[in-house]
Amino acid sequence: MKTFLYNIGYFLSEAMRTIRSNPLSNFFSVIGTGLILFLLGIVLVGWSVGDQIVMALEQEAEISVYLTNPEDQVKIDELTLQLQKLEGVLEVRSVGKEQAKEQMEKLLGNESEILGLFDENPFEAFLEVRINLGQMEEVLNKLQNVNGVEYVRDNREVLEQMKQIADGLKLIGVFIILAVGMTTLIIISHMIRQGIYNNREQINTLRLLGAPGTFIGFPFVLAGTLMTVIGGAIAIGFLLVIINSGYQQLSGALPFIPLPVQEWLQARISSMVLTVSAFLGVMGSLFGLASMRNDKS
Amino acid sequence: MIEAKEVSLIYPDGTKALKNINLKINPGELVYITGPSGSGKTSLLKLLIGMEYTSEGELKVLNETMDKNNERKIRKLRKRIGPVFQEFKLIDGRTALENVMMGMRFLGIAPGKMKEDAENALKRVGLEHKIHTLVEHLSWGEAQRVAIARAVARKPVLILADEPTGNLDHENAINILELLTSFKDQDTAVIITTHATHLIDGVKDATFVRVNSGEITVIRSEVG
Repeated sequence: MKTFLYNIGYFLSEAMRTIRSNPLSNFFSVIGTGLILFLLGIVLVGWSVGDQIVMALEQEAEISVYLTNPEDQVKIDELTLQLQKLEGVLEVRSVGKEQAKEQMEKLLGNESEILGLFDENPFEAFLEVRINLGQMEEVLNKLQNVNGVEYVRDNREVLEQMKQIADGLKLIGVFIILAVGMTTLIIISHMIRQGIYNNREQINTLRLLGAPGTFIGFPFVLAGTLMTVIGGAIAIGFLLVIINSGYQQLSGALPFIPLPVQEWLQARISSMVLTVSAFLGVMGSLFGLASMRNDKS
Repeated sequence: MIEAKEVSLIYPDGTKALKNINLKINPGELVYITGPSGSGKTSLLKLLIGMEYTSEGELKVLNETMDKNNERKIRKLRKRIGPVFQEFKLIDGRTALENVMMGMRFLGIAPGKMKEDAENALKRVGLEHKIHTLVEHLSWGEAQRVAIARAVARKPVLILADEPTGNLDHENAINILELLTSFKDQDTAVIITTHATHLIDGVKDATFVRVNSGEITVIRSEVG
């Protein structure tokens, strides 16, 4: 540890020397790593936005519960309290006869004139129940068996399809992340091998002078990590621009999409890409260093 | 300090570089290993620093068995040895001072002390005016002195110098030998290989080991 602390400056200057020793190749490696990490960032953005949309939809996963006695307000109030106590039920809201009609008018928009054909309000009071989507099946069974409930209408199919799409996207994302990770590891380990090859005489001399493997290898790990983090920083720069322009376009054209807060998303993506790039840099460098062991001292 | 018993070295291509070497070197001893080119002098030094391993026999350096299975300890042992390689093995792109310090960085010496010791070593070899010169800009003789400074700045207990007089004129060769032998003290042994036996004629207080075709033919001590 003492030796490490005494040599921090040396390690940094050696790492910079390794980076400068093959400037063109390392430049392209950094750009390549940056582009790969940009792809990773895009996947992470997709995940974050997708998660937010699914979460918003889940929160809006409402079930309509129709009652055997929709005219009996006391019974409706009792039932409201009863349903609120069920596990998996997040909120129960009573919708009166008039409110039900207003909702339908809103939904129909210009076509709502059709409701004028009725002499009386054709709608009944009902209960809107917001539930936890993960417990949908269970909650539906419970609701159907509650005394006073005539019929339960759900939007399960739509919600489940949306969940399937979100899960599918996550699976694709996992494969992309694996591919991105592997590619970055290969690029960085190759870069480090190249650095080791360029400095083989120096490495051999240090070995003959008794330098430990960690002392010899650390500048290379530092160089690999620095280059990957620089690549990560480039990726973050592009991602911030993309997120910014994406939000500007979407918020104008599709205002109803429940996007996460832009600043939160940018901070989250930046920290994730930076962490992943540092991790991949260290791992790639260590893989590259493994080749040193095969050299004869 | 060094003890070789029936040591042989056979290279992978079958070349028998050393045969049945028996040798004992004590702390504070000055040893000249002489012999013609290809006689096995460098091979013997390679064994002593662990660049090669014995094919037969037993070799102990500073109480460590120089065996392939003992690589970890041999790497540590090298910290106590000051090697001066035939081709110097200086690192280009670094100054003389940086090269000397390079050999000290992993010894746990505080940066200030390390720089001071390295500068003193370079002064001792007469290169105080070239401390900040890149080693590729030094002459052959100067580069050799940097290599010596790097070896001695580590305060080793064993200095190994492989053909330090090669490529030098008579006067510079004598100077280099005198410089190297000046580092011998009570605790530090100095081993120098050379094929130029005329340079060491009349040297006293030293042991002379003559190697020929991989075998030690003569061991002679001269007391001054």
